[in-house]
Amino acid sequence: MTTEGCRHWKESLGAYALDHLSADERAGVEAHLEGCARCRAEVESLLAVSHLLPHADPERFGPAPQPPAELGRRVAATIRAERRSTRRQRLRWGLGLSGAAAVATAAVLAILVLSSGEGPGPEQHVAFRSLPDGVKVAATLEPQAFGTEIHMYVSGISSGTLCRVYMKGPDGTAISAGSFRYRWGADASAVLSAALDLSRARALVVHAGNRTFVAPLDHVATTASTQRQEEATT
Amino acid sequence: MREAYAAHAAELFGFAVRSLGDAGLAEEAVQETFLRAWRAGERFDPQIGSLRTWLFAILRNVVIDLGRARAARPGVAEGGIEPSVEPFDEALLAWQIEEAMRRIGEDHRKVLIETYYRGRPYAEVAAELGVPEGTVKSRVYYGLRALRVVLEEMGYDD
Repeated sequence: MTTEGCRHWKESLGAYALDHLSADERAGVEAHLEGCARCRAEVESLLAVSHLLPHADPERFGPAPQPPAELGRRVAATIRAERRSTRRQRLRWGLGLSGAAAVATAAVLAILVLSSGEGPGPEQHVAFRSLPDGVKVAATLEPQAFGTEIHMYVSGISSGTLCRVYMKGPDGTAISAGSFRYRWGADASAVLSAALDLSRARALVVHAGNRTFVAPLDHVATTASTQRQEEATT
Repeated sequence: MREAYAAHAAELFGFAVRSLGDAGLAEEAVQETFLRAWRAGERFDPQIGSLRTWLFAILRNVVIDLGRARAARPGVAEGGIEPSVEPFDEALLAWQIEEAMRRIGEDHRKVLIETYYRGRPYAEVAAELGVPEGTVKSRVYYGLRALRVVLEEMGYDD
């Protein structure tokens, strides 16, 4: 088959693959395909693409959402923190200290790693609502004999900001959990403690510079799941 | 890991948003994916597959774990994620085609949307665009070819 003939037919092959041709046009293309191996191969590969089209949603052909620039820094900081803590862990084991130190380091990581399928532990994840764009504040709370251990995670605020952390008791009094300074690019997590039982805490409050972020503690969910477990055992 | 992030984070994030339906969760998923990739760095073998394919495989596990974690916390789970694998693969396929559509030329995308997805006659589309009908036909042809090329570049394999 001549190249000239192919050029004529070729541009109909897309419409052919999508089954958009009239019966006459179709017959014409098929007659050409009979004798032209190159166009047959081309149709094959266009058909493969056309079979994929129904899987896509044309409403989603617009610009894709982009990750915030800050996510890259957070990923880098998380990896740096883990690299540092695994080194520290090795050092501690090497010195023959108890495994408790390593366990504590692992607990710090828990907030960075999020839950990776180990199932719910006794710790409680706290979400801060209505944060300004780009600001992330999160915490994990762990009940301890002395009160509550708080693993804070902060990012997106100005470097050097002083953050003071409080827990609110049942009567509304604030019990200090200590303070830390947020350093851009450095470890974004801090471990604090408050002399208040987690079960009695009403809210976690963070004063970051002149801004205040409050996370009410939802004990209802915890109680509900405990009840469910009790029912299951009886 | 920095280079891997620069090359693939946008794509992983775009897909995670589509799959999880939530930008915050998608950020978590992408962060966890790179953390796991960093931990398993030595196990990455370029002989077996591309870095992109490997990262998407990790993301797939992360998305499944996020679904399980949500299901395990009754108080937190809201409109939970389907922890099964099937919808993930379907969503990944859909997302790759949508991403390919974004990367081909505007003219090509336009005629494919009008003639294929909206099922409009070529003559009508041609009149609306102010071009001969033959041009619409040839744009459909070159549009499909461009899609094929972009999908290959993205590492799509059927």
